Amino acid sequence: MSAAESTTAIQRSQVDLLDFIDWSGVECLNQSSSHSLSNALKQGYREDEGLNLESDADEQLLIYVPFTQVIKLHAIVIKGSEEEGPKTVKLFTNKEHMGFSNVNDFPPSDTAVLSPDNLKGRPVVLKYVKFQNVRSLTIFIEDNQSDSETTKIQMIALYGSTVETTDMKGLKKIEEH
Amino acid sequence: MVLEATMICIDNSEWMRNGDYSPSRFQAQADAVNLICGAKTQSNPENTVGVLTMAGKGVRVLVTPTSDLGKILACMHGLEIGGEMNLAAGIQVAQLALKHRQNKKQQQRIIVFAGSPIKHDKKSLEMIGRKLKKNSVALDIVNFGEDDEGKMEKLEALLAAVNNNDTSHIVHVSAGPNALSDVLMSTPIFTGDGEGGSGFAAAAAAAAAAGGVSGFEFGVDPNLDPELALALRVSMEEERARQEAAAKKAAEEASKQEKGGEEQSSSQEATMTEHASGGTSEADNKKNDLSDDDNALLQQALAMSMDEPASSHDLQDMEMPDVAADDPELALALQLSVQDSTKDSSSQTDMTSWGRSK
Repeated sequence: MSAAESTTAIQRSQVDLLDFIDWSGVECLNQSSSHSLSNALKQGYREDEGLNLESDADEQLLIYVPFTQVIKLHAIVIKGSEEEGPKTVKLFTNKEHMGFSNVNDFPPSDTAVLSPDNLKGRPVVLKYVKFQNVRSLTIFIEDNQSDSETTKIQMIALYGSTVETTDMKGLKKIEEH
Repeated sequence: MVLEATMICIDNSEWMRNGDYSPSRFQAQADAVNLICGAKTQSNPENTVGVLTMAGKGVRVLVTPTSDLGKILACMHGLEIGGEMNLAAGIQVAQLALKHRQNKKQQQRIIVFAGSPIKHDKKSLEMIGRKLKKNSVALDIVNFGEDDEGKMEKLEALLAAVNNNDTSHIVHVSAGPNALSDVLMSTPIFTGDGEGGSGFAAAAAAAAAAGGVSGFEFGVDPNLDPELALALRVSMEEERARQEAAAKKAAEEASKQEKGGEEQSSSQEATMTEHASGGTSEADNKKNDLSDDDNALLQQALAMSMDEPASSHDLQDMEMPDVAADDPELALALQLSVQDSTKDSSSQTDMTSWGRSK
């Protein structure tokens, strides 16, 4: 029943926020150069099961996703393999340029411990009230399912809705006559 | 033109008193630091550079990342040598300083001068390297000075742990006549991964070359004075062409040299008028006077002018005493044409740029 609920929650006026991601500001710390964030976030790459986002020096990852306008975040989907997929995921809103050293300095907006179900594609519903006014999202992946050396993520999708704000990039200068 | 914040870690331990790098290890290091700061700020005006010392009483940050070159040069003054270098602490403090940089869009880079022996073990250095890689900090290592066993190995291991897509480098500089800064100038540490600072490096190299032996043709730097260098080169090529043609005609002219002296002198007149065709009336008169001599003679005259560098040399030396004695008008013409021919070598180069027609 909860599964049905979450799938209907996705359908109910929640859109995939892929179009609202500000790609120029997307960053990922500790990613391997051959397996980068685009493999998990971008349309087409994330559906491909052979393309993963992989961590480099150790198993943690810090992903920063800014948006082109203010959004409300409802749920996220993180797909990965059963052993090397992420386990503990912490989400921070509106904090720019975080580093691994200050992830523990303030409490996350939400924490999710992923189950194998989630890794297969079941969305994780978030505390909606905490994600009402999101300009940027930082995803901190603390460890993975089997505590292996590297963490592999196949897809990250964000579901939510937009607040009616102006997209500053879309503003064009009016020609003076 | 990469936007970068750099922290330079200087080794000011006792080992830096050694004079195997001129004038002393520490001074060579200071020169290198100055050059690096200049290169970084020049390649991108928004770049910042900071400096810290690793030895002495402890790791001390002299200046936090700034784009003010004056501040950086000033802080290098009055540094004291002493103590032992603490590489691990130095790198960690540098990382912290970079974390708190003002412009978060800058890439982070640490440049370490490792001159004294390293007391840390390979494992801990590798851990530090991995931590730097995790936080996407690039590391450049300058290995100079002391060379005890294991030092190179440890530094290579550190580099391997940090290196991400060849953004980090290591340079080994051995003692010798070459200054530390000169050796560094050709490395990627200075040239910024193949772009940006290379302009600065080239200018510095040119200045160094000019200061020492002038490696340029004619002793003139084409960068400083392109027109003069061009003029010198053109006149050199013309002289060379003239001499080559003269050498070619030498064999042909063997028989023609037996002609009479007067014909020689008159043909030499004609050749001088050829040279002096700046359009003086005297030259024109001369040509009219010689019109009865025929084209054949004129051809001979031309051949004569190509013949024997000695005669063309004479033309420029203006030595025609016997001819001048015969004919005062001729003497005047000779003088004028000689003046014109000396002007020619410079005016010919002017002609190329001004397009004056003969």
